Amino acid sequence: MNSKYEIGFIITPDANEEDVKKIVESISGTIKKAKGVIANIDEWGRKKMAYPIKKNAEGYYVFIQTEVDGAVIADLERRLKQMEKVLRFITLRLDDKLKKANKLTKRWTKIEQFRKKSQYGHEEGKEGTDAVVKEEETYADEK
Amino acid sequence: MQTRSSSGDGKPQKKYYSVRKKYCAFCKDKITLVDYKNYKNLENYISETGRMFPARVSGTCAYHQKQLSKAIKRARQMALIKFSEEKRGY
Repeated sequence: MNSKYEIGFIITPDANEEDVKKIVESISGTIKKAKGVIANIDEWGRKKMAYPIKKNAEGYYVFIQTEVDGAVIADLERRLKQMEKVLRFITLRLDDKLKKANKLTKRWTKIEQFRKKSQYGHEEGKEGTDAVVKEEETYADEK
Repeated sequence: MQTRSSSGDGKPQKKYYSVRKKYCAFCKDKITLVDYKNYKNLENYISETGRMFPARVSGTCAYHQKQLSKAIKRARQMALIKFSEEKRGY
């Protein structure tokens, strides 16, 4: 079963552009082989890290959002560990989080609707118009 | 001891200050998922020594505070924000 994942990793600063390309292509290639979908590839490029990792002050940040089988991700993790040019990596599953987020958006829309309704009743202008309508009705009765 | 008003009518003096009510910044901006990659925003929720602020200080709701704590930990792992730092200015 496919589900949404996010992979992020840091490549050493002494790697060339070709090395970066190789790593990204090898990962995207395995995902495509397993009939996965690559939603987005985010390359931040070189960035100064908050603290040095293996005596490197800078790092090349890459983030990939995909939709693949879990077994492929496990395989990728194993491979990323073995790569010498990858300093750190992180993999996240986003499916269950997105479900929770959808629930929250639904709740917010409900609350907004409720607020609009309550505001509608309490607004001065609305009350005024109501009163006017009532007056008109009473006039009509008199006539 | 109660502070007395200068007029001497025996009533305790009123304190003229208003506490601004805290609110969840994520709920206000309608952010459903707290992303660890957005490290510049996360830096607002850590002290200068690198510690997380509790929800009672920052005012974030329980739902977002849970996500925020995880996001900060992930950002630390990816070297986007610091783990800790000694206090400067002494």
